[in-house]
Amino acid sequence: MVKLSDNAQKSLDEYLHQARTYLRSAKSVDAGEVEQNITEHIENELEGTAEPVSADELETVLKKLGSPKQWVPEEELRWWRKFILRLRTGPEDWRLAYLSFGLLVVGFMLSRLLLPLLTLASFVVSRAALSANNYRIEVKAQKWLIYPSLIVVYLALLGLLLALPLLVLVPLAYDWEDTLREDLGFSDDMHYWLAAWPVFIASMGLWWLVQGIVFLARPNIPKPLFRPFADGFNRKWTLVLICVGFVVLVASSIVLNWVCGRYFQPI
Amino acid sequence: MENQFLDNWVTQLRKGMLELCILNAIKGTSLYGYDIVRKLRKLNALVISEGTIYPILSRLKREGFVQTTIRESTEGPPRKYYELTQKGEQTLSRMNDYWRDVKTGADALKGE
Repeated sequence: MVKLSDNAQKSLDEYLHQARTYLRSAKSVDAGEVEQNITEHIENELEGTAEPVSADELETVLKKLGSPKQWVPEEELRWWRKFILRLRTGPEDWRLAYLSFGLLVVGFMLSRLLLPLLTLASFVVSRAALSANNYRIEVKAQKWLIYPSLIVVYLALLGLLLALPLLVLVPLAYDWEDTLREDLGFSDDMHYWLAAWPVFIASMGLWWLVQGIVFLARPNIPKPLFRPFADGFNRKWTLVLICVGFVVLVASSIVLNWVCGRYFQPI
Repeated sequence: MENQFLDNWVTQLRKGMLELCILNAIKGTSLYGYDIVRKLRKLNALVISEGTIYPILSRLKREGFVQTTIRESTEGPPRKYYELTQKGEQTLSRMNDYWRDVKTGADALKGE
């Protein structure tokens, strides 16, 4: 194979990636044969060109070769496949980004009932756009269309991950208030809740501590979960989580001890 | 509107004609895929993007009109050569006859 410059190699990879995307949907076409045809054609066209071949020189060959879509006869594609492919490819691959932003805007405009559903749909499209682009080309200006739904969903997910003990314990504390107050010997509501809140906070501290230890052992968990914002996540952040969790746990235990000592009346 | 009509007409004509030209290009010989592309390059009006030729060759092979043989090359990896099968030769002969009739008929109408 002729030696290509880095940018030319990126262009070729992108072309082959798009061709493969189309080829996946056509059973009658031999994808390996097509790929071989493309690379052989390019190699023949670039024969005698000074190496490494520049992106511009390769672009001229690819332009003459034509769109990656043409490798699959259109009549072989089902209507829904054509629709998805049109969204996935096209000028500068912006269609998924537009679709993502469009779904979010429509969700906000239509009704509160459809908002969560359309936000989730927009989130899925954003992630698809991200995986279609992220590993080969930078998202660049598309981020203004892709990121809004990602941020909305990630914030909700982050809140859920960090405050899970609160979401579980607060309703339980309400439901079992009478039983617990009686069993633990708190004289009134205020004292019960004064003791309950340090328990909630301590459980959050413990939860963060556990999460920190899990992420320390498996640092690759948060990256795909919060892509692309957690791409820079490393052990330093897990140590911060562990430290904060530990401090919160200790501090709330001290407060709980103080509250219990002051208001707890053993029966 | 007028341009769109012309574009559609050209696209439809090109589809059928390209198959005829590919088959004629390899008639009586065996050619490597890239050689076929080079040969058809002269038909500017017909070959808009060179990549369209390869899928047609694959389809013609699948339908038994052409067959391929792999031959070693001094310039790189082994190359795939295309040649007409007996079925391909018979079909091409009928296609050429049909095209001649169409062309003669169309030219005659122009002259009327």
